[in-house]
Amino acid sequence: MFDFVGKRRWFLLASAIIIVAGIISLAVPGGLKPGVDFQGGIAITLGPKEGETEPLTLERVKNKLADLGHSEAANRIQVLEDDQFFIRTGELGDSDEEKLEEQKKLKSGLAEIADVKEFGSISAVVASETVRNAAIAVAVAAVAILLYITWAFRRMPSPFRYGTCAIVALVHDVVIVLGVFSFLGRAFNWEIDPMFVTAVLAVIGYSVNDTIVVFDRVRENLPKGITPDFATVVNSSLTGTLGRSLNTSVTTLLAVLAIYLFVGGTIRTFVLALFIGTIAGTYSSIFIASQLLVVWERGELGRVLSKVPLTRRLRPRET
Amino acid sequence: MRPRSKDRPFEARSRVTRRSFLRRILRKRPRISGNTWMLLFILALLGPAMWVLTPSGSISLDRVVTKITNVTVDPLTNITTTTTKTVPAENLGMRLGLDLQGGSHLVYQVDFQEDWSEDRKEFATNTALVIIRDRIDKYGVSEPVIQRQGSDRILVQLPGITDIDEAKDLIERTGFLEFREVELNPAGEPVLLSHYLEEADRTDFFDAAVEGKRIFGQVIPGEEEATIISLPYFLQKDDDEGLRFVDEAGNPVDIDEKLEESDEAKRVDKLVDNQDNPVDKETYLQTYSWMPSRGTITEEVDGVEKEVEKQLTGAYLTEAQPRYPTPEGLARGEEIDVAIEWDSDGTKLFDQIMKRIRDKGDYLDPQRSLGMFLDSELISSPQAYPSSMEGREYGSSATITGNFTWDEARLLAIKLDSGALEMPLKKPPLYESEVSATLGKDFINKAILAGGIGVGIIMLFMILYYRLPGALASLALLVYLALVLAIFKAIPVTLTLAGLAGLILSLGMAVDANILIFERLKEELRAGRTLKAAAETGFNRAWIAIRDSNISTIIICGILYWFGSGIVQSPQVMGFAATLFFGVVTSMFTAIVVTRTFLRFATGSRAARRPQWFGVKARDV
Repeated sequence: MFDFVGKRRWFLLASAIIIVAGIISLAVPGGLKPGVDFQGGIAITLGPKEGETEPLTLERVKNKLADLGHSEAANRIQVLEDDQFFIRTGELGDSDEEKLEEQKKLKSGLAEIADVKEFGSISAVVASETVRNAAIAVAVAAVAILLYITWAFRRMPSPFRYGTCAIVALVHDVVIVLGVFSFLGRAFNWEIDPMFVTAVLAVIGYSVNDTIVVFDRVRENLPKGITPDFATVVNSSLTGTLGRSLNTSVTTLLAVLAIYLFVGGTIRTFVLALFIGTIAGTYSSIFIASQLLVVWERGELGRVLSKVPLTRRLRPRET
Repeated sequence: MRPRSKDRPFEARSRVTRRSFLRRILRKRPRISGNTWMLLFILALLGPAMWVLTPSGSISLDRVVTKITNVTVDPLTNITTTTTKTVPAENLGMRLGLDLQGGSHLVYQVDFQEDWSEDRKEFATNTALVIIRDRIDKYGVSEPVIQRQGSDRILVQLPGITDIDEAKDLIERTGFLEFREVELNPAGEPVLLSHYLEEADRTDFFDAAVEGKRIFGQVIPGEEEATIISLPYFLQKDDDEGLRFVDEAGNPVDIDEKLEESDEAKRVDKLVDNQDNPVDKETYLQTYSWMPSRGTITEEVDGVEKEVEKQLTGAYLTEAQPRYPTPEGLARGEEIDVAIEWDSDGTKLFDQIMKRIRDKGDYLDPQRSLGMFLDSELISSPQAYPSSMEGREYGSSATITGNFTWDEARLLAIKLDSGALEMPLKKPPLYESEVSATLGKDFINKAILAGGIGVGIIMLFMILYYRLPGALASLALLVYLALVLAIFKAIPVTLTLAGLAGLILSLGMAVDANILIFERLKEELRAGRTLKAAAETGFNRAWIAIRDSNISTIIICGILYWFGSGIVQSPQVMGFAATLFFGVVTSMFTAIVVTRTFLRFATGSRAARRPQWFGVKARDV
């Protein structure tokens, strides 16, 4: 049996490093780029026009946008596929009339060279409400999960711990996904949209799902009284569920990968977030949530906090 | 759904109760096990599920599209004839979101004046909602979503309308309200549609003095609700062609053929009454011919005041409102009515028209009706009462009474208002998005490919890793797919691109339940249990983990659905939540019922003697 619990400080340390890097990237401005849904503005997807002999190239789209007076948007065109482009502008004009006018001009101008496959315009009012709703959704999800797990493990000693550890694990996953996207935002101008929030919530669901399976085994093994040592129980539970955890994430990742490779397009952000989240979720249920249970049980948390960095020597493992 | 414990197998029950019945049917197998019953149950579920997914399932769920199969143009008369056919919808008849079939999505902010009371705001919002719904119904969009969001927003989703400017025009424009009176022949009798049709050589209107198209319609009073019939074709006089029937766009139509159409074709052509029932030819023939009601007003033309003839239209109407009678009025027998206010020109026109028509016949004669038409559709035809004092003017206000319920009066007032006032909506909309249909088609094909490949790879992985149980789980996965697609179609769940992603993701999770069970099974086998016992214990123990872990996903689905139905109602987010929810619930069912039944068959067979078929090395047992 591999000793996961005994090496917990390394796992926790590795995660801590990744999370700190993610938080720094998130905190430095220019990372996560809000899409039109969160900021207001216009989003357009262009594809090649039928019957048009000249191929639709980035160059042409760029020039057209510059001609129309949107040179700023021209500099951050995203290439979805070879001949599919995503354009994004801020809100056009100040008054309602100006907005209508500018919007018409932009749309008809682009329609001259390409097929406008998607056209969306979102006012700043709606956008700020979407941001608020997204925040509420994530917060409510976290609280609901905490309450649910506490309830599901109500027969265990200190059920609140299980809920809290699961929450820490899911916060870990969410920070990793956000962190990766803040890098992608810097490097490729990838933006986040409501679908990204959906992916984050789906990751929360997956992460908790995974964590519960491990905790469930602890719940089953603990009352058997095989060993009085909590760490050993957790470790054997981890080993018992390891095959399942890995195989499930493999099948889920295979499914997600199929969507990413074959569908792509406008939902690639969504799918990539799911992909990263699934890996993080599997990792955190094994290496974070369960390890934290042991840390908490042994009261290491206080000691660790007083002795940062992690320098505490481990007790010899009981078997 | 707690699995039965193994000390009370299904066999015991079925053997006792079903013995005599089964003997007769299955001579060679004297008994049928509980597991066989479960298999039959699964097949019994699978049958209807597969049927739902077939074209005949589409027809009975009314997932059909009307296709124009043939268009012919008569070179002499220029009249076009179209033949239509109803066929099952494509894509298995699934309800597709805007992103997959193309369409327009709009969110409007209702425009309030600052000094309006809450009631007035409420009324304005409802008014806009009713008018938009009415127009879109008339326009013929299949499965539109028109919803109020919060107190002052209106959400409109129009699948298939890929020109958003057209959609916006339809919603934002002011309707055309006009007033008409019944046309009379030289003998002073009302003219019916049949008169025009029977006298085929007519080249002029009966009342040639009144220009303008004729609209045919009639209000038939009913016990509860009046039936209003309006012919969607109009009689128009062209200088060179004489009289001919045209549709709303002005194209000539063969009226005789249209009236003879089947009910189904009539629905397509909007030959229906206000309750959406097809109207037969006889009824249409009895409808009155309505001609514009005109009067004269003084108008300044090039600096000179002139008498000009004008039709009474919504442009002269300042307000229409439903009213409850006052307590005193109620005592006098007054009813709920609709009050109309005219501007100064409207007052003059109304006075002239009312004085004219009230003398044309007795009370209840059609010639005493003032027909009100919104976008060429009859909405009401009240009778002109004599003004209370002979010779006095009708004044700037009028009331329409007619045994109205409050809702009827309100609806009429709303319709009158919509033809007089600008739509109370802020422009541009708060949110608008348009997806072209080609993009959607492309996505569907890609998603089907992704789904197919995803399923294939998962099945391959399961079979390679778990051997026999993996193959059974793959079979169960196919059952899962059929069930979940049938559920999506029957409910129906709107499939969006993200919804398809949710479905494919739920495939991964559907396998999860199986994996939990098989991993447990392997453990129990290694612990030395017999295969049968290992399978049962595996199921029982895995179930608790499956249940608890999936509940958390279900909680998330609920929160996601709320988020998606928020401000702009993102069909993407809602689609994902809905497919994931049904996917998870169905996967719990297939894991516990389908996989278990298949596995029980396997443990009862010869395969049970080879542990390596279950992915366990023989020496480990």
